[in-house]
Formats: sequence, C-alpha cells, structure tokens
Amino acid sequence: MVSSNANAMGIIFPNSYDTLVPELVSKRAMASIPFASRYRMIDFLLSSMVNSGIDNISIVVRQNYRSLMDHLGSGREWDLSRKNGGLNIIPPFSERGIKVYTGHLEALSNILPLLRNSKEKYVILTDAHIAANIRFDDIIAEHEKSGADVTVVYHNADLSGRNDYTRKDTDNFTYTLQLDEENRVKEMHINAQDLGPQNHSMNIYIIDREFLVTQVEDATVRGKIYFERDVLLPNLNNFVVKGYEFKGYVALINSIKSYFDENMALLKQENADALFEGNSIYTKVRDDNPTRYTSTAKVKNVMAADGCVIEGTVENCVLFRGVKIAKGAVVKNCILMQDTVIAENTTAEYLITDKNVTVTAYQEVKGTASYPMYITKKRVV
Amino acid sequence: MEKEMIAMLLAGGQGSRLYALTEKLAKPAVPFGGKYRIIDFPLSNCVNSGIDTVGILTQYQPLVLNEYIGNGQPWDLDRLHGGVHVLPPYQKASGSDWYKGTANAICQNISFIERYNPKYVIILSGDQICKQDYSDFLRFHKEKDAEFSVAVMEVPWEEASRFGLMVADETDRITEFQEKPKEPKSNLASMGIYIFNWDILKKYLLEDDADPNSQNDFGNNIIPNLLKDGRRMYAYHFDGYWKDVGTINSLWEANMEVLDPEHSGIDLFDENWKIYSRNSGMAGHHISATADVTNSMITDGCKVSGTVKHSILFDGVIVEEGAVVEDAVIMGGTTIRSGAIVKHCIIAENVTINEKAIVGAMPTAEENGVATVASGVSIGAGAKIGPNAMVRNNVKDGEEEW
Repeated sequence: MVSSNANAMGIIFPNSYDTLVPELVSKRAMASIPFASRYRMIDFLLSSMVNSGIDNISIVVRQNYRSLMDHLGSGREWDLSRKNGGLNIIPPFSERGIKVYTGHLEALSNILPLLRNSKEKYVILTDAHIAANIRFDDIIAEHEKSGADVTVVYHNADLSGRNDYTRKDTDNFTYTLQLDEENRVKEMHINAQDLGPQNHSMNIYIIDREFLVTQVEDATVRGKIYFERDVLLPNLNNFVVKGYEFKGYVALINSIKSYFDENMALLKQENADALFEGNSIYTKVRDDNPTRYTSTAKVKNVMAADGCVIEGTVENCVLFRGVKIAKGAVVKNCILMQDTVIAENTTAEYLITDKNVTVTAYQEVKGTASYPMYITKKRVV
Repeated sequence: MEKEMIAMLLAGGQGSRLYALTEKLAKPAVPFGGKYRIIDFPLSNCVNSGIDTVGILTQYQPLVLNEYIGNGQPWDLDRLHGGVHVLPPYQKASGSDWYKGTANAICQNISFIERYNPKYVIILSGDQICKQDYSDFLRFHKEKDAEFSVAVMEVPWEEASRFGLMVADETDRITEFQEKPKEPKSNLASMGIYIFNWDILKKYLLEDDADPNSQNDFGNNIIPNLLKDGRRMYAYHFDGYWKDVGTINSLWEANMEVLDPEHSGIDLFDENWKIYSRNSGMAGHHISATADVTNSMITDGCKVSGTVKHSILFDGVIVEEGAVVEDAVIMGGTTIRSGAIVKHCIIAENVTINEKAIVGAMPTAEENGVATVASGVSIGAGAKIGPNAMVRNNVKDGEEEW
C-alpha cells in the first residue's frame, strides 16, 4: 500500500451504551445522536479514520439503525464510497447460528469471515459514544513500534460524578487502566468508582488482525461475550496490552445530562477549536442556506449550523440545522435539534428538543441546569 | 440514449467589470450569498428542472471552476449517462482555436451534443443570479411549436436601451430584435437564455461558422439570421428574480437583496427550489458573548465576536471583538481584526484586515462607491481604504488608498 493509506481496517459498534441515553436512542442508535450543531456522533470516528488513511470500515449494528443507515448512505460524504473496502454496514440478519449480539465478541464472531478475508494487518475496534478528532495513524505507528498485541487508547480525566453507576446492566461496563512505566496495562478495573483523574479507556483498541481472529474463534467456542472482560482482563499477563494516551479533546456521552453538558462545553471557543481544528469532520450535507439573523435578533454565545432563522433572543444555545426562533421568543441554555421551531413570545430554558419539535406561541417551558427537559421527536408543545 | 433536452452553460466570460474579484477566477466561480458561487444557480435550476446533462464551456481562468464542479456530485449531476461535463477549447486534427464567441463555443462542441442526440438544447449563461424553472420554459417552447425561444424580462422603458430587446406580437412571436437601440420599440429584454430545436441550432451554427465576417455570437449573428429566415421564434416571459451580477455594484446589491427575501424576491430559503453548492465541511458557526449580530447571514466556520450589521459572512470568516462590519460582503476565510471598521464593501476570500484598519464608508450624497479588496490581500493596521478603492495588493500599516 502507498504510505498515505493506513494498514488497518475499522470496526465500529454503533449501539454501545445505548441504554444510558434511552430518550435519545428511542428512534436511533448512539452513533446517530445529533451532536455539536451539525454532526452525528459517528461522524467524528468515521472522519478520524478516513483522515488517518483508513478506508475499509465496517459498522456492526444491533438495533434501531434506520436513522444511522439514512445518515451514512453509501458513505460518500466521508469519501468511503469505494470499490475496495469503503463503508460496510452489517445489519443483524436472521440466520441459523447467528443472533443479535450482546457483547463485542459475539458481534465479531458474526463477522469472522470478513475478519479472516480482509487484507489489512491491523483492526481498530471502537464504540461510538465518544466525539474526538483522533490521528489513528499516530496510534498505529506507536502500536507497531511497541510490539504490543493490543493497544488500548485512553484519556486521563476526572469523570467522578459523570458515570451513572445506578445502571447495573452489563451493556454499560466502563474500564479504568493501571499502567506500568512502559505503558503496559497491569490492571483493568470494571466500573471503578475512584475519585480524581483516572486513565479511562476510550474503548478504542488496535489489534493485529490475525491475533484477533484467533481470539474470536476461541471465544466463539467457549461462549465468551465481552472482549474486555473475557479476553483482555484474564490475559493481562499473557498478552502484551499497551496503553496509548490520547491527549486531545474528548466529548463523552453516557447520560442525558452529559449530552447536555458536552454540547454546552463547545460554546467555549477553545473547546470547539480543540475538537474541530486540525482535520475536517465530515457529515451528511443538507444544502441549507446560511443562517439568517433578522433585525430583531439578539444573540449571545451561540453555536449554530446553517439553515436557521433567528428573530428572537438566544443565549447560550446550540442550534442544529433549520431551527427557527420567532420574534419575541427568549431561548436560553437550550439544545435545539434539527428543524425545531420556537414560536413567537415563548420562553424556553434548559430544553433539549429532538428533531422537528414545535413549541407554540406564548408558552413558558423550562427545565433546570441539573435536569434539562427533553422533548421527544416531532412533539408539539 | 436520447435526452429530450440538454443544457449548454456559457462560463467562459472573464467578467472584466468585476476587476479585482475575477483576476484569478472566472466570473461564474465568484462567491455569492454566503455559501454559493454564481454557477450554483444555473446548475441547481437545471437539476431542479429535470435536466441531467450539462456542458459547461470554460475558457478564462478555469482552475477554480473546474475544481469546484468536480464530478458534479453536489448538484446531483454525477450520472452514468450524461451529468456535468466541463468543456474547454481543445485541439482538433484541423487545428485548434479559442472560443471566438458564444456561438463558436457551442459550435466547437457539436460532437458533445450529438452524443446525447437531444431534441432541444437550452443555452444558459453562467453569470446571472436567477431561480428559474426551465421545464416551464420548454413547455412554452413546445406549445408554440417554436424553433427558437428566448426568455425575456420586462424592464422599465427608460432603461430599455441598455438591453438586447425582443419585439413580439400578441402571440409572443418575435418580429424584430434590437441590440441596445437608441429608440426602443419594446421593453422585453433578452435574458440570454435560449431554447433551440437541435436541428435548427446545428444548421445555424454551421452556417455561421462558415461565414468569415461573423463574430460567432448568438445576439449579433445567430438570432438576426434566424429572424431573416422567418423562423418560428417566440419570447417567453419570465417575471421572477433575475440579476446580471456583472459589476461590483450589482454584485454587492444582489448580495444585499439576499438579506431581504420578503421584498427582493430572491428567496434562498425555498425548500421546493433548493440551490445546491459544494460544502465547505466546516463546523457550525459561533456567535460569542461580546458579539452583536443583526440582519445578517452567517454560515459554517464563522467566529463572530464583534458587531455585524446587514452583512453576509461566507464560510470561516472571523470577526474579532471590537470590529465593526456593516453593509458588507465578506467572502470565505477572511479575518477582520479587533477595532477594524469595514463598511459598504466587498472583501474577497482569505483577506486579513488588521487592527483598526478602515475599509469603505457608508454612502453619502456625493460618494456611494463599493470598496473592493481582492483575495489574499492583507490590509495593514490603521490603514484606510476609501469607498471607491479597488485593492489588489497588500496595504502597509497606516497607509491610505482611495
């Protein structure tokens, strides 16, 4: 291969952590949750991979994937409409011996032929609850240099109070890492509740493809389900598992509150710059006109996509494409998804409105900072 | 496979009256309306009208235009059969020639048109801002059983002598053509958009090509020849928004009209007639806590911390805190630093206006020029650019240019 292409294939699990944000995923998957005014969560990982020269990407879906399919199309917007490789969406088809997966190992076992027949040397496994601008080519180079069997990408952050441990379902394991001085992972804790900054796994793994095939074959025979719990953890002494610290900006969605906070955090210019400066993040193009601010608009601290018409007062808000805010409306601390309409003289605070929500005239609708009110898709308030 | 009608889009014009804006790109590639280029309008009209085969005739500075058109995907014109094709002049066994006139440009590409064997050919101009349904124009052409139709606009009688005019009878049949006459007999101005029956067009192109005295131009040669022969020629009345953005003033005006869709008639928000463009791929724009934005259009990648009034910001424009932008058209990638005042002007792409520089001025009774700054120029801190200035080169700190 020419050096502009990475010798790796990507595998994305778009439904991981779905159950942490039940409102947002009632009609979609984690990967297709709208984020940062004009994107879906998966845009960040897909674009990062493409910008790193990875052009063979499979998305192993589990459920609620219609909106994701609609968003991705042929993959052209990410330059993934390719004769060789490109974007490959793998639906959970009904067939004897194949079932809708629970853990990643089961999902990988369903696609074993694909793993066996691919030509790339490495596989990148990742979930889609993280938005970050990642240079995978740097990580692959480091993985190659270190001679590791598996490289785990982590970020050092204080997430105490962020993880919702009241949900005990096994879908939502999180992992923290203890490393030695050579970045070898010595311990991996499931759902650790330690306070202060920790090395949190971003659930991004770089693995030698043939090594992964062996592990998945073995796991299939033994009925193992979870890659981290059932393969990595018991073998930290047998395999060389190295950590790679990602030092860039990470937005992490693991609750409706964190969804609100991570969107709001991007109103700070330095955060948005950290996420977007560098390589482009691609998304489905909607061909909206530029956003129009009329003579009655009063706007402070807003991030907005194209296609909006702003006639009212807007402060501290993230506006997705095609949002309309009428005259006399006062909208503060809200996240308004695509084509939300706030009619005239309505006051809205701490709302997350899903797509196509309409809040009628002369209303007062308020959530609170600690519990933003979520309004479901197409609802008229 | 046969196509009923294909489009030929004349995009070779230099647009010399746009001066600094068209030094490095052809007029159809000039940015417009916040995220578009002029050529997006005819291309989007084609695809919205059901025309899926478009030849774009380029000649002057085609680089930006070629890259912008690419495979035509943003306009849904990447087709297995047909789609968009850029047609520069090329070398033939008999020799090679630049396009000598509008008719000659089409004439040199007869073989392109014949590949699709169309019944009709629509000739479009790549330098107009217009939303028009060409399928309605074709319906008219067929209803009249015409051999040639031209789209016309009614213009005020006192301005009529600036245009090419069609004199038509009560059935819209054209009886006379006047090119910029002193004494106009009609106020129906040609928009430079024609539908021809392909057999007729081919015949007249070849005859015109054989005439050594011809300027090979539609307005000066082909149309008069059709008239002389008594061909069935009809005038199709168009009453929507149409603007030839051939001058700095008209380009600035058309941009400002985008800000007032309720009155100007150019509504880019029309879901049923979208204008497509190649996407910049930038993140959503930011309006900071220190910003004051009214009556403006702002697109992806902009970061606004200053005052923006009645202006259009293209993708990736930065307006720093304390800067003032009013009645201005600011094209993509331009930065306006703190304390700079930018008014009543057109600033091209990737310009830097440094601290406390002043560019342009609001119009007065004596002075109503639109200051223009060419792409890539840097205007020094504290520099002053007068309302009639046309800035092509960097201006040093504190200098003045009028």
